[in-house]
Amino acid sequence: MTPRFFESRRVLTLLLLAALAWSLTAVSWRGDLIHSGGFRAIGEIFAAIVRPELSADTLAIAFRASWTTVAYAAAGMTLALALAFPLGVLARSTTHQLAASIPARAFLAFFRSVHELVWAWLFVAALGLSPVAAVLALGIPYGGILGRIYAELLQDVPQAPIRALRTAGASEWRIFWHARLPMALPDMLSYTFYRFECAIRSSAIMSFIGLGGLGREIQLSLDDIAFGRMWTFLYFLIALVLIVDLWSTAVRRRLAP
Amino acid sequence: MNHAAPAAPAPRAALLPRLSFLRLSLLAAIVLCCASWVYILNVDSNQSHSFFSAETWRRGVSFLKDLAGAGSTATPAFAQASAWRETGRLAYQTLAMAVLGIGIAALVALATFIFGARTLMTGELAPYGASAWRALYIAARAFFTLTRSVPELVWAMIAVFIFSPGILPGAIALGIHNAGILGKLSSEVVEGLDPRPMRALRSSGAGRFQVLLYGVLPEALPRFTTYLLYRWEVIIRTTIVVGFVAAGGLGQEFRLAMSHFHYTTLSLILIWYLILVAAVDIAAVLLRRLAR
Repeated sequence: MTPRFFESRRVLTLLLLAALAWSLTAVSWRGDLIHSGGFRAIGEIFAAIVRPELSADTLAIAFRASWTTVAYAAAGMTLALALAFPLGVLARSTTHQLAASIPARAFLAFFRSVHELVWAWLFVAALGLSPVAAVLALGIPYGGILGRIYAELLQDVPQAPIRALRTAGASEWRIFWHARLPMALPDMLSYTFYRFECAIRSSAIMSFIGLGGLGREIQLSLDDIAFGRMWTFLYFLIALVLIVDLWSTAVRRRLAP
Repeated sequence: MNHAAPAAPAPRAALLPRLSFLRLSLLAAIVLCCASWVYILNVDSNQSHSFFSAETWRRGVSFLKDLAGAGSTATPAFAQASAWRETGRLAYQTLAMAVLGIGIAALVALATFIFGARTLMTGELAPYGASAWRALYIAARAFFTLTRSVPELVWAMIAVFIFSPGILPGAIALGIHNAGILGKLSSEVVEGLDPRPMRALRSSGAGRFQVLLYGVLPEALPRFTTYLLYRWEVIIRTTIVVGFVAAGGLGQEFRLAMSHFHYTTLSLILIWYLILVAAVDIAAVLLRRLAR
């Protein structure tokens, strides 16, 4: 460890603390930060944690909404894969395909710079309320993220086998199919499964703008100030995320070398 | 590794494709995706007009024209200096909300991630009275799961019941969700650390707090900072969404512009949003270089 190492770390810590202090000045610290009913609301919300509403009607709605949420997530991921794979392959930086890699990277960066809910709102405003709008809204930013990661993974494979193939006279295309892709594939699959877990959460909040799903039900129960019902739907969401989390962890453990 | 050559594979394995967990998972994922598309296309075709019709195209084109300010006599918002200043102020608030959110997340995660590391709370490195520490470990993990499973937007919907609208409820919502993510990731970093230096410290007479200070934190904190900066990139994209309900920054204005059909203001907000995202991405790259 050189002294230089400590220096740059210390600078970083100071910068982060300064940023936090600056952000505190942007809050208007008036007396009414917590509004009049605020403390009672905290009590009611937390009291409802142990009293979720479990009537047959609510459970039926919760199961249907869970399926909608999963369906948006899975369909969105299919679209994301369809976008990410070709763009990711093009975007990996190799000297011989700069002309394709720069525009591909620009597209990926643009796709992922806008949040899925913003995409969703724009699509619904522009094209009308349809579940396909939700799938597009989820698939585009996820395609951007997946594509970037695919490009990095395809680029960071061990170089020795690739050099060997190239010396043997294999074309770049063959090198890709026979060396690059097979070597990167386990990590690519692993990351895709991880993103599926995130897609469930994103898909749940899609409904905020009127598309169905668990988020819509959570919002409706909050509109009715029915905290018990809200927790029922939240527990369904947590369970859904947990199931997908366990699944993707199990898959990723087996894919790891 | 010097393994003996594996025994010849059973002949059946060559005939039947191995039905491993991975194969089953892949198959399940494909079936799930197909079923989802069938469901979605089915719902879509039962609507008054399908997404895949000329109507959608017509609407899309007219929406883009509205965003560009075509067909309206008024000066578009993105051509007015005053509108740029006004939305610029909101962008400043949005950036502050993002920084405050990641700050809250970092403080909460720093205070709790040690308790979420199994290797430190149970087993040979655990302090005496192990059952109490084990309970603490379970509580920390449950806290991470609850906070990160609930999306920021839902935390924001809950937060506005308690706090007055503004930057604070949004930042708190971002903070709670990301505390769960950062806490889980950092706990896993600690669990993945090489236990030998810690054992060496322990056996040479270091107290448990000293093991933490000299064996765990120097290894874990740089990784923590890297994750923190990655999450910051995600948070700046999410701040606008939290603002939809928490009524702070660009998100609130986005919502208002959308409901009042002020489409050129909407484009201006989107321009500022993209500027913020690009600026934070660049800043995070530079800061990560410092963290190395």
